[in-house]
Amino acid sequence: MDENGASTVSLPRQLRVGDIPAAFREIRARREEGPVTVDFRDVEEFDSSSLAFLSYLRGCAADVRVANVGPKLEASFEAFLGGTPAPSCEVPEPGFDVRVLHPLSDRFLDRMRRLGRFFVLLSDEIYHTGAYLKERKGVYPGEVWNQLFFMGYKSFPITCILIFIIGVTLALTSATQLKLYGADIYLADLIGYGMVRELVPLMAGVILAGKVGAAVAAELSTMSVLEEVDALKTMAVVPEKFLMVPRLIAMTLAVPLLVALADVVGITGGVIVGRMSLGILPSAFLREMKTAVDLGDFFIGLAKSVVFGWAIIVASGYKGLTVGRSAGEVGRATTDSVVLSVTLIILIDCVFALITY
Amino acid sequence: MDIIAARNLAVGYDTSRVLSGLDFDIPEVRITAVVGTSGCGKSTLLKTLAGLLPPLEGELFFGAERVDFQSEASLASLYHGIGVLYQNGALLNNLGLFENVALPVRMHHPDMPEAVLREMVHDRLAQVDLLDSAAKFPSELSGGMRKRGALARALVLDPAVVLCDEPSGGLDPITSNHLDDLLLKIRETFRTTFVVVTHELRSIEKIADRVLVLREGRLHFSGTLAEVLASEDAFVRTFFHRKADHDDA
Repeated sequence: MDENGASTVSLPRQLRVGDIPAAFREIRARREEGPVTVDFRDVEEFDSSSLAFLSYLRGCAADVRVANVGPKLEASFEAFLGGTPAPSCEVPEPGFDVRVLHPLSDRFLDRMRRLGRFFVLLSDEIYHTGAYLKERKGVYPGEVWNQLFFMGYKSFPITCILIFIIGVTLALTSATQLKLYGADIYLADLIGYGMVRELVPLMAGVILAGKVGAAVAAELSTMSVLEEVDALKTMAVVPEKFLMVPRLIAMTLAVPLLVALADVVGITGGVIVGRMSLGILPSAFLREMKTAVDLGDFFIGLAKSVVFGWAIIVASGYKGLTVGRSAGEVGRATTDSVVLSVTLIILIDCVFALITY
Repeated sequence: MDIIAARNLAVGYDTSRVLSGLDFDIPEVRITAVVGTSGCGKSTLLKTLAGLLPPLEGELFFGAERVDFQSEASLASLYHGIGVLYQNGALLNNLGLFENVALPVRMHHPDMPEAVLREMVHDRLAQVDLLDSAAKFPSELSGGMRKRGALARALVLDPAVVLCDEPSGGLDPITSNHLDDLLLKIRETFRTTFVVVTHELRSIEKIADRVLVLREGRLHFSGTLAEVLASEDAFVRTFFHRKADHDDA
């Protein structure tokens, strides 16, 4: 206790960064009992954290008094922190509006702004694609073919392998159940209808969202970070047209071809399982499948896949072109583009189901 | 004759005003250096001059026309009149150097005969001493080569003004000096106006005709190079002579 009745906390001769937490805890504990005097008398060696600690203590309320600060410490404090206002040690507890309502409303407005930007980009793309098809200007020559090669040819093996595996898995799990009821032949109906109308377009969309969408978002966001997009703008080149239209056209051409091939591959998986597991001849399988699946189903599958493709490109382009300036945002934009693409694909699939069933 | 004029211009982002109350003129066929301490808003100002960042307040004139940042036609007109040399070059990484330089021509003049286009690009690459690297991709070029390549691209359609963001940044003194010579040569040959954001005092002394000094969100000083060097203003003296007031004592 000092002459004012305050309890005293004496600091050690060497006050280093490792000593601060213990001193802080002791001061806090003593403050609960009454006023505290922090005595710097013994402090001879110190570092920058000691200066920060002193600054903090001087910003505290009247119940914390700083005493006996040596001339060396005082001089260092003046030299480094003299002009800096001391932080207030009494941080007021934020109210409900600051803690909850402000962040909520900020987040809501941010979401609305993003949604608006997404639809602006979507409408821009429709306009630019139309303008390009009419005028054949504003897109780098040959870029559509480059993108077609990447989206179609380069995506073909992985898409077909995965769809084949899905066809086999679906056939195997269905065959076991159908066998129980003696309804073996209906495996053809199930595989044909399920694959052509639903699974192939949906899974191809998801695979392309991961492979193509992520690549597009990563490429565009890197270009944004490296100022390449700004460079295009200042060359009076419209980035939304130059970068997006070739990808959109390539996707429109590539996806139906991919899905048509994947339909064949997926059904082949079903045929193989039908033959091996249930003894259904391929000719019988295909004959039965024809009774359940018609050309309309095939074209609905293709139409859906084209819309999925557009969703992937617009979602990835949106994420890629609205990225900030740091490298870390490239990774975030890439991940977000896949999440957004898959979400849109599922939503669109649901809308198609509501319309066509 | 002034080619760019700012009147009570304020620049910055939604959440923060970086510079305000800017009134200046950029004279034609001159090199104007924009200087100031790090973070004072030089690059932000350049973005607004390039039409990439709408001003928060005030007006920007390009030639006799007021730039309307809400109008695509007005911005397109600005973009056709300027070239920008970005800090890192900003060459498109998926195109070779030749195609990068050819890009503005291909985009704006798709009917340009290929033979003429090749000649245009070769001329520009020769001017920046990069003819031997025409087939290389940006990733295969050094920092200085990328900047010279970007300069060739910025110049290929003969813009009236080239805005350069720290052209000497990250370059060794010899390469930096070479780039300065190049800017002077281009200015003399094609009567191009340059606005150069830079920290390099040697570069400023060598190439600048006029200097805009930015400080604490304002245009602190504006004048010819001789006026700036002779200025008694404490900040300008500190900046250009690396000399604080108390050094005189």
